[in-house]
This record gives sequence, structure tokens and C-alpha cells, in this order.
Amino acid sequence: MVNYRISDLMTCTIADMLKDGETVFHGVSSQMPMVAMHLARKLHAPNLVHLNIPGGVNPSSVKQSSYSSAGSDLVEAGESYFPLDQIFDLSMRGKLDVAFLGGIQFDINGNVNASVIGDYHKPKVRLPGGAGSAVLIPTAKKAIIWRTKHDPRTFVEQVEFVTTRGNLWKIVTPLCVFVFKNGKLQLDSIHPHTTLEEVQKQTGFELIYDEVRYTKEPTAKQLQMLKQIDPYDYRSVEF
Amino acid sequence: MYKLQSLKEAAGTISNQSTVALGGNVLHRAPMAFVRELARQEKKELRLVKTAGAHDIDLLCAVGAVGTVDAGFVSYETVYGLPPHYRKAVQTGEVKANEHACYTVISALRGASANVPFMPVSGLKYGDLLEHNDYFVVVEDPFTGEPVTLVRTIFPDVAVIHVQECDEEGNAIIDGPKFEDVLMSRAADRVIITTEQVVSPFRIKQNKEKIDIPAFLVDAVVHVPGGAAPASCYKKYDVDEKALREFIGLKEKQEIIEFVRKYDKKDYQHERRNRTW
Repeated sequence: MVNYRISDLMTCTIADMLKDGETVFHGVSSQMPMVAMHLARKLHAPNLVHLNIPGGVNPSSVKQSSYSSAGSDLVEAGESYFPLDQIFDLSMRGKLDVAFLGGIQFDINGNVNASVIGDYHKPKVRLPGGAGSAVLIPTAKKAIIWRTKHDPRTFVEQVEFVTTRGNLWKIVTPLCVFVFKNGKLQLDSIHPHTTLEEVQKQTGFELIYDEVRYTKEPTAKQLQMLKQIDPYDYRSVEF
Repeated sequence: MYKLQSLKEAAGTISNQSTVALGGNVLHRAPMAFVRELARQEKKELRLVKTAGAHDIDLLCAVGAVGTVDAGFVSYETVYGLPPHYRKAVQTGEVKANEHACYTVISALRGASANVPFMPVSGLKYGDLLEHNDYFVVVEDPFTGEPVTLVRTIFPDVAVIHVQECDEEGNAIIDGPKFEDVLMSRAADRVIITTEQVVSPFRIKQNKEKIDIPAFLVDAVVHVPGGAAPASCYKKYDVDEKALREFIGLKEKQEIIEFVRKYDKKDYQHERRNRTW
């Protein structure tokens, strides 16, 4: 039995979704996917292409990104320069394999809200905005969303505002992994520390699943590598 | 041509309701000294343009200087959290938030750079942003008959860009990530550079292939070391965590004015316009 935290599990689960050779992008406020991408490159996907907003391709280290996943440290540690506007263009022409995106609210039909709660023009809550989501979720081959909050206000029957939808592939939460299949958000796996009842209780729509699978636990090798590449635990900043 | 100006002079050329493109990205290389001067000069109804903003947009919202914000994302990233003043201003209806998809800001600026009224965007296909915003429209591609989304061009009156090195004529070099700054300098009607260092034309000429913004595009150069603080400036300084946290906690307008005042000495230290290299 290996010892790990939810943030470790989420990071390793995300890393396992990435394949060798894929072009993968993360934006701002994205420390967890940044670490997961680096983990994948260090273990099973050495040829994964790590892209980010400042433009540092394949940064050799992510240890300096303490408060930002869009800082110049990624360029300094990178092997070449390929900035945001060109990453967007890359996605538009169908050559971005995976994009990591956020959001505040998600519904059973795969709609994502990162914009507002309440009226768009005079909102009750103005959210940060979808950043690249509205153009990347439809154009990247696969969009992965991670959210460190899983409650009935986050996973709802219908979002209050549709910032975007499209090639949403997976959503990773502290309780489970959802997969978007046949136009619906379906349960892919639940994490080992939780139960189907708990996931259902924290989800605002009826869960769809054929069988209950458990998320793979992080391996000792993954955890050891995480300690090495992320010694300051940036992967947990959202917890 | 000699273009060095004081911060006061350069900010004085910005009229109320101007469309202002701000350089940098989130907590990095934002033109904060210039932003503070816009606040001191009590500008009103500015139309701010940026792919992803943070302290710059939040501060101008806090002093009531903003009319609209065209951006894909406004937040301080996870560690510092959401921008309280921007949120409040949008939620009370004082500021209009024109949400973009970052890329559509880039497209809208590319439109200005090439002087066309709109740009097609291939990725923006679904969602309420298309329905609720009048700067996006879906039309029929005249060549194929397929639907295509257009974004209306944003023509900035001025781009304000903070750089590490610039000569007195305006040849500017950005160290590290350039974000959208080079594009902004081509899209805006006027360009104001604030710079950490004013270097000699001789030194700039030795690095001419590194010049990101050539002098002929630049209208004014302002020498203001520390001009991005409390945001970071690559190779010069990192974020000022204490100042950012202090600012995010402020509530009253008077407190904001005090916060800006604390930077007066630093922002004005090179007010004299003589040669400094």
C-alpha cells in the first residue's frame, strides 16, 4: 500500500491520460496539469511536446513556477520558443492533441461555464473567464478539464452560461473521472478512497455508468518522480 | 528622433474613453507604473484590451477608470486568487466585461494590424458567448457556404508596453516571453514604451536582430525602472508578493489611492528627461 494524497492521485491520473508524442498545452492557473505533463515526459511519454502560454517548449524543469504557470521560467528552461498565438493557430489547424482547461460549472451535456453566475451583462458573480477554452475545446483533439472541487453546485443538470462545449474528453475531480461519451458526461472511474454513493451525493445530476471502475492508484515510481520534479508541491496549490 | 518623455507627459496624452492595449500577461511584465499614472490622472471610461490581465485591470477598475474590458481571462492565478475590484465593477454594472477567448483578442488585434474590419476565427463554434456578444457573428463563408465565425477588429488607440531595454528613439527589446506585445505594437494607432533601461543607440544597433518593436512604430519612451512592479519583469525582478496581497485585501477607494501613492517616488525617479546611459 503506497501513501499518497488526492492531489498526487489526480496528477498521476492526468499524466496517465497523456500519450508519447502528443502535443499538449496548459494555460494560466494550471500548476497541476503542468506537473502532470512533466511527469508524463519523465516516465512513459518522453516525446510528449509540452506547450504553454509564455512559449517555452519542453521546459526541462517546472520547479520555478511557484505562483504562475505562465512565467518566463518556462521559456528559460525551454528548448525552443513557440508562444500562445502560434499554439492557438496550431490547434485551429488540427495539430494540438490535448488542451487542459478549467471552468467553474459543468453539466451532464458537456457544457462548460467559466464566465458568469447569473445574467451575463449584470452577473451575480463574474468569473475569471474561459481564457482559451471557447476556441480550444472545439479544436483540440482532446480537451481535459481538471477541477479540485466536486460538489452539486459544480456538476449540475444545466450550466447557467455555456462558455463552450466540444471535444471535451475527460474531467478529473477529487472524487472521480468523468468521460464525455455519446453526448453525455459519464462516470469513467471513481477514486479508490470514495464510494459510488458519495460521488452521486456530490453530483447534481444522475450518474451514468455501465460498471463501476476504480481509478488506478499512483505507482511508487510515479510518486517518487513527483517528489523529484515537484519538490515544492505546486500540484497541490488548489487544495 | 528623441522620444523620451516623463511618465506624466506620456500618460497625459491618453484621453478618456481611449482604447488601451496593455502589454504583458497576467502577473508578468504588465506596464504597472503607467497604469498607476492613469489612475493618478483620474482617467475615465478607458476601454482595456488584453488576452489575460490581472493587477493592471484590477487596479484601474478599483479607481473607476474603466468603461469596458475586452479580455479572455482576468485573475491573479491560483495563489493570489480572483480580482476583487474587477469583479465588483462588473457585478455592479459599472464596467462592461466583453469576454473573449484569448485567441479572439489576438484575432481582433491581427485585424487591426492588417486594417480589416473583422477576422474569421475557426475555433469559436458553440456557446453563449456567440449569442450574448455583438462582437462575434456567424456568417456564411461566401466561397463554400459553410458557417464561419467572425470577430470584430479591435483598433487600439494606444498600446502601452513595458520592456527591459529601449533606446531614446524607441527601438525596444523584450527579454523572455513577448506575449501579445509585438502584435499590439502593430495593431495600435500609437505605441508608448516604458522601459527598465534606456540604452545607447550604439548598443541597440549591435543587437538589431533582437529588436521586437522598431523605433518608427513608437511615439514615446518612458524611463521607469521597476515599471512592471508588483508584477514580475524577467531578468529584473520577480512579483512583489506582499504588495499584491495587500492590494487584493483593500476595499475603500482611499486605500487604493494610498497604495498608488506609495509608488510615487519610484515611478517618478527618472522624471527628468536627460540622457541616462
